[in-house]
Amino acid sequence: MTAAVISQPAQPHQPAAAGGGLMRRLNVGTAVAGGVILGLIGWLVAHSLLQDDDHGSDQVVLVTLTCWAVGFMIGIGAFNGPIGWALGRDLRREDELFLAGKDQGISRYFRFTTDHKVVGIQYLVVTMVLFALGGTLAMLIRTNLISPHSHFLNPQTYNAIVGLHGLIMIVATIIMVTGPFGNFIMPIMIGARDMAFPRLNALSLWLIVAAIPTLLSAAVLGGIPTGWVGYAPLADQAPPGMDSYSVFIIIFAVSSAVAGANITTTVLTMRARGMSWNRTPIFVYGTVASVGLAIPAFPMFMASQILLQVDRTQGGQFFVASGGGSPWLYANLFWLMGHPEVYVILIPALAALMELTPVFSRKPLFSFNAAVISIAGIVGLSVMVWAHHMYASGWAPDLNGPFMLTTEMISVPTGLLFLVILGTVWRGRVWTTVPMMATYAMLWNFIIGGVTGIYLSDVPADYALHGSMFVTAHFHYTLMGAGLTGAIGALAYWFPKMTGRMMNERAGYISFWLVQIGFNVTFMGMFAVGLAGQPRRVVTYAHLFATGNLVSTIGAYTIGIGMLVLLYAVISSWRHGDRAPANPWGGKTLEWTVPNPIPLENFEVMPVVTSDFYGYGEEPSTGADGEDAREPVHAGAPAGPAAAVVAAAPVEGEL
Amino acid sequence: MSVEPAVADPPRRHSRIDYWRIGWIWLALTILLVLFSIWVPTRLMGPPASPTMRAVESTMRVFSIAASPVAALVWAVAIYSLIRWKSKGRPTEDGPAVRGYGPVTITWAAVSTVLCVFLLIWGLAEMTSVTSAAEASNPLVVNVTGQQWVWTFSYPDEGNVESDQLYLPLNRPVVFHVTSKDVIHSFWVVQMGIKVDANPGVTTKTSVTPDKLGTFDVRCAELCGLRHADMETAAHVVNPADFTTWIAQNGGHT
Amino acid sequence: MIVGGVAAVAITGFVLSTAGATPGLLKATVNGTADTAQGQLPHAFLNLATYPDSEAGEHGADGGAHPDWVSYGPTSNFEVPAHSLVTITIDQYDGGETITNPFFAKVRGTVDGTMTVDGKTMTEADPDAIGHTFTIHALPTNQDPLFVSVPLPAVSDDAPEVEGTDYPAPHVVTFSFITGGKGEYVWNCEFPCGDGYYAKFGGPMSTQGYMSGNINVV
Repeated sequence: MTAAVISQPAQPHQPAAAGGGLMRRLNVGTAVAGGVILGLIGWLVAHSLLQDDDHGSDQVVLVTLTCWAVGFMIGIGAFNGPIGWALGRDLRREDELFLAGKDQGISRYFRFTTDHKVVGIQYLVVTMVLFALGGTLAMLIRTNLISPHSHFLNPQTYNAIVGLHGLIMIVATIIMVTGPFGNFIMPIMIGARDMAFPRLNALSLWLIVAAIPTLLSAAVLGGIPTGWVGYAPLADQAPPGMDSYSVFIIIFAVSSAVAGANITTTVLTMRARGMSWNRTPIFVYGTVASVGLAIPAFPMFMASQILLQVDRTQGGQFFVASGGGSPWLYANLFWLMGHPEVYVILIPALAALMELTPVFSRKPLFSFNAAVISIAGIVGLSVMVWAHHMYASGWAPDLNGPFMLTTEMISVPTGLLFLVILGTVWRGRVWTTVPMMATYAMLWNFIIGGVTGIYLSDVPADYALHGSMFVTAHFHYTLMGAGLTGAIGALAYWFPKMTGRMMNERAGYISFWLVQIGFNVTFMGMFAVGLAGQPRRVVTYAHLFATGNLVSTIGAYTIGIGMLVLLYAVISSWRHGDRAPANPWGGKTLEWTVPNPIPLENFEVMPVVTSDFYGYGEEPSTGADGEDAREPVHAGAPAGPAAAVVAAAPVEGEL
Repeated sequence: MSVEPAVADPPRRHSRIDYWRIGWIWLALTILLVLFSIWVPTRLMGPPASPTMRAVESTMRVFSIAASPVAALVWAVAIYSLIRWKSKGRPTEDGPAVRGYGPVTITWAAVSTVLCVFLLIWGLAEMTSVTSAAEASNPLVVNVTGQQWVWTFSYPDEGNVESDQLYLPLNRPVVFHVTSKDVIHSFWVVQMGIKVDANPGVTTKTSVTPDKLGTFDVRCAELCGLRHADMETAAHVVNPADFTTWIAQNGGHT
Repeated sequence: MIVGGVAAVAITGFVLSTAGATPGLLKATVNGTADTAQGQLPHAFLNLATYPDSEAGEHGADGGAHPDWVSYGPTSNFEVPAHSLVTITIDQYDGGETITNPFFAKVRGTVDGTMTVDGKTMTEADPDAIGHTFTIHALPTNQDPLFVSVPLPAVSDDAPEVEGTDYPAPHVVTFSFITGGKGEYVWNCEFPCGDGYYAKFGGPMSTQGYMSGNINVV
């Protein structure tokens, strides 16, 4: 041993950058402890120093929540790397393997683990927890609205729940595809061994975990009375729950920026040899479009919350008209984020459905170019439509015409995506699995969401409908009917690869029908009361709307039961479902070439891509039995010099 | 970028029966959707109380009718594919290797562009028509003030008569000057199809010509805090003579 | 996953439990009948008070979570009979200043459009010295309209405290209105008195149980 050290004088003993004993024991428990301890310290200090200030309670909340988040991130070990570099240490191979969770069993899911597959599973669980929370709140809202004066919730609780439901669901839908599948599946799909920046990957996940308790703290700090939009100056007036909202958004914006930079870099630089842009799967395009759109969008939201915090904690007047500020400033910043954001949610969900439709139709994706151009078109237009949320605000009425133009133009690329899917199923061999049924449900729901969106894009019609339940129903048809349905399809599709087990098909179908029927009942009822003039976010309403609301509530309970069945299907199948073969659906993309369970660095030998992944019907059929010898990928290519280099090179940089 | 179309679809003739069947499904769906479009949305919106609302309801009807064949086509192909091209269980063979068919894609894009242009032109024309009331000579001016959680109205040219309910004379253009004392509210006269936000520190305008006698709903359409749901009042459209009487009763003059 | 489920239930329960229980109900006492423009109607009485803090009403002597918030007492949740003359007496202990919306400086919706303040009949209060208002309103559809708004004149800031209490002598404001059919209405103060909040409409103004509540006509 000593001899070995002597023989390597250039490598003096170097302490592990990830730290020794203690640093290696950090997990979610130490993170919570760190957050609580630092949060308490922050609270004590702020409470004693700031309590007498005019804005004291808001300052205390801001300091405490920020300290919680920082303490949590210290406790999880997010700063070990930067501190290590500052001390002049570098990571050794064994540190990297430790960070990636090698041989750590289930405990790696509770740690700052860099393996993209672990992060993907973590994202999946976080997403499901968020949906469970947001869904429970939705059930409370619908229960309250079961009759005009139900008194189930008082107006204060109701407003708080409406805001929390909205924000939790928006965050859940933003991460529901690019989080679990963008992290777990996408790197394998492009033939990479991990993400470009594995530690940033873990950072983006744990920032969200740190942020969720800050949002939930709003429930005990007076709630968020503003709905999820947080409109100022109502937000200036709101109780300290609004500070929870701000801190949450600021942390979430950092997380999405980190994730966006990471995924974009990964796709740009780490695609397998031979994977030119026209051989890159459409899901990869969808993921990059989504996070790429989030990169410019979320800083707007973050900026709005920083300004709001200046208003709330320092007496700033950014949004206070009497002090020279403008509520329209907030609305503009918010919607500069808000409209791209709906496409951040939708594009990856639609891309996942476009990815799985060829597999279950046994046909190439119809008009790949049109799909890519459409996604690009939507991305481009989506940053130019934000003020259609402000037609009735009185801000720049002269711009209503131009914004009507850009908004209606979005229907052209979006319409092409319908053609891509219809063209793919056209004369295909349609295998109606749960994921494929999700595609059909999306075709139904998204048409309704899209057409009702066209009414709202029309300025005079929007004057009549803005702020009514019609709008609520419209965006649930797009974000839930198309977006969440797509994410559920993606989950059912990639479940065998992510868990190694098949999802309970029977429970999957039951859940699918309950959710889809319940969904259409709920939001058709909501369209009806919206057209009749029921405003959004009201705790009580005129008797005229009673029937429609009762119908909506019955539909909502049906969705709730369906979602519980889905939850059962996921949990029970994950624990003891049938073992899945490596390629249960007969897909051609790279993730189906790796064995179950997937080894730590995914590929024994780096794959070389020689064609795209949609060559159904172009080679003798495989019958999709998972033992296909005619993969388009020469995964086990003869170890020529080039292949050997490819296989060996990335080891250092990729963990 | 990609290779398109790499392989032609040789047995196109065989699919003629498919086109016919899809055509019939499409026609049936289109007829159903058009009937739905003509009757349902406008019935739900209720009888209009102003030319503005009439224009909005005709927009809803026309847009729905224009969207009907498009939605019907998507659903027809989807439904047909589930009937005719459904595989019993796991498929044992691949479908035809069609990677695209340029003419269809181009036609699809062109038709949706034409529809989009139609929507835009319709919308611009409609915008012009509904804003014309503001330019009428001698409109009635009503100052609308939103304060958490009550609407109040005053009539500056009628001796500053104040009211918690809105009274309007029939068939006379009205311009509302809307502002707020605190947070953002949204002034919405439901059956007249007008809405504009009440912003603190600025005055926004909207205008309408009520053309139906009756009592209508004024609601707040922007979440404004604790009692948002109760920030509602009534708008009474009365004959001009009754309006004059009402003004006089409240200490004003016309 | 189980942790998530438990968390969901726990958070929900937490939200429900902490978001403020519905305040206690104060029922108007009916005492005889009164002659009104609408004939002889039952006459109901309610006695309320407004305080510069929260230490005299339903929040307990320690003032509850926000002892320094202005409040109505003895509760904020009232019940009055339908088709009746309702007389409300409010002991107004709080100071005040200029009202932002002069609309609410006038008496509106009461019998004859008047109120009495310390025995004097008035139709409006000095807009520069108003403490609070008592303003009833609600959904206009499906129930009889009811809009009553009464300004409560401010007690002078240098008024001495009455011995044995923490408050100066109040202004006693009395007004009557006639209820229609059954319905659920809300009331709130329209004088911005939530000091320290934007537009002075946060805090006690936006929290049930302080400057806003329900008034049910049964």
